[in-house]
Amino acid sequence: MKNSRITLGIIGIIVFGIILFILNLLIGSVTVPIEDIFKVLLKENTDNTLSVIVFNYRLPQALTALLAGAALAVAGLLMQTLFRNPLADPSMLGISSGASLGVGIVILLTGAISGAAVSSFGWWSTIGVSLAAFIGAVLVLFVMLAFSSRMKNMTTLIIVGLMIAYLAGSITDILKFFSLKEDIHAFVIWGMGSFSGVGVSKMPVFAASIIIGLFVSFFLSKNLNILLLGEMYAENLGLNIRKNSVVIILVSGYLTAIVTAYCGPIAFVGLAMPHIARFLFKSSDHRLLIPATMLIGMDMALVCNLIARMPGFDGNLPINAVTAFIGAPVVISVILKSRK
Amino acid sequence: MEILKATSLSIGYDDKTVVSDINVTLSEGDIIALVGPNGAGKSTLFKTFSTHIMPLGGKIELFGKDLMSYTPKERAKLLGIVLTERPDDMFLKVFDVVAAGRYPYTGMFGKLSEKDEQEIKVSLELVGVNNLIDRVFNTLSDGEKQKVMIAKAIAQNTPIIMLDEPTAFLDYPSKIELFSLLKKLAKEQKKAILFSSHDLELLLRYTDNLWIIAKNQPFAAGTSAELLKNDVIKNYFELKDADNDYLLKEKM
Repeated sequence: MKNSRITLGIIGIIVFGIILFILNLLIGSVTVPIEDIFKVLLKENTDNTLSVIVFNYRLPQALTALLAGAALAVAGLLMQTLFRNPLADPSMLGISSGASLGVGIVILLTGAISGAAVSSFGWWSTIGVSLAAFIGAVLVLFVMLAFSSRMKNMTTLIIVGLMIAYLAGSITDILKFFSLKEDIHAFVIWGMGSFSGVGVSKMPVFAASIIIGLFVSFFLSKNLNILLLGEMYAENLGLNIRKNSVVIILVSGYLTAIVTAYCGPIAFVGLAMPHIARFLFKSSDHRLLIPATMLIGMDMALVCNLIARMPGFDGNLPINAVTAFIGAPVVISVILKSRK
Repeated sequence: MEILKATSLSIGYDDKTVVSDINVTLSEGDIIALVGPNGAGKSTLFKTFSTHIMPLGGKIELFGKDLMSYTPKERAKLLGIVLTERPDDMFLKVFDVVAAGRYPYTGMFGKLSEKDEQEIKVSLELVGVNNLIDRVFNTLSDGEKQKVMIAKAIAQNTPIIMLDEPTAFLDYPSKIELFSLLKKLAKEQKKAILFSSHDLELLLRYTDNLWIIAKNQPFAAGTSAELLKNDVIKNYFELKDADNDYLLKEKM
């Protein structure tokens, strides 16, 4: 009976996801009629405009949302279990701030040094921004790893992460002070988050990077389950605490770094989705929670992308405004429930 | 049969020695109470035995081999612990907690075999809480939680079980019940059991073998009658002569 409930739940989430995915292809500033979408997808349609809209914009955007949602949600789950803190998420480790600083340095300093806004460099600027975000995120990740292998106490690590986030944030603010107005504008836009940055050309690399990270996370489920008992018990059961922490931080940080590099810092997906998975399945078994969180993260990102692109908003609504709108109430209700 | 042996062992943190010159053995079927005031080094000794911290000097042997020569996985099958710390996850079930005891025996994804499932059920039965198997751990009473953690250690199937302050949050009847459970494990399962407590009166009444740790005093081990007779307990716990005589008489 219990297993059938789980199967039903998973199927429900997948069906919901498929519907959302199709809606993502249909709805936007130009509405694609539902009877045309399959023709377009099967390339039977000769109407070029629809085909271009679907293949060049909506499909890659929906795929990006799908992958980014799954990656961020799993990254959040790993952090919450590792730190045994329901409010942990990758941004707590300062990884998103590291990415922001990297992007800040590229966007804000280019103008200050060369005198021309970064956007005037065209195609190069996109690559530069993704690369800078990745380097920034990975650098913070390595700093955190160095700390985590030296400290056994997870709370101290969270505090170090928050301090690094503040430091990176303040350096970014200082950079802004010396920057061109256009550059600050470009930086603010990046900071709002968007699933439209990946596009067709960068999709293969983005998708492969995310799928590798998600695949690896499945192998962590046994150790994550043991960690739920507390570190001392886990250690007594034969788990190498330090090595395990390093691996979990590495996987979580890697997933966050990739997503942030391509989509900007996206809040609340990593924080809220694991809670929905736990409450939906009333389980703490990571062999179930990892796939469930992944699927729920996909659905959530597709919902947010859909709302941000609703006719009327013209795709200008920042993703972060939408994720916060859905994520914040989830987090509040979790806190209220767990305090009972 | 001798399972664990410590020879001129010094324990502590970094360069701060807490207790030195510990010479003890733990054998099959032993049930030993580690007694001493808070802060005297009971937890430090536990952490040293469970290799959470390194000994500062001397050696610890497990089945005649140096404790550190075992891999963490091997040690996990030899020594199980029950701490005062409790898992606090919202959805973690009693079954999951006890199943964690099977972790050293399962494969990469932690899939439980039929034998594992059987061991989990038997362990819960042994401590008398098989009716709680589907409950959320967090919703149990202190006594029930304690029993489930002991079931975890039983499922871990180790020749040694160490329990840190197992009576700490229990009411009196539960304490007595716990002692008889530990005795049963030592007798029927031939396990060596070491537990810590600072409840001297209860220990003298229900256990026979004591290891005593006290600040600025040498480590002492022996039966409670011996330790009462040669005034070790009296000196360590600063008892009055009359109280010591009373306890000794009761023990005889």
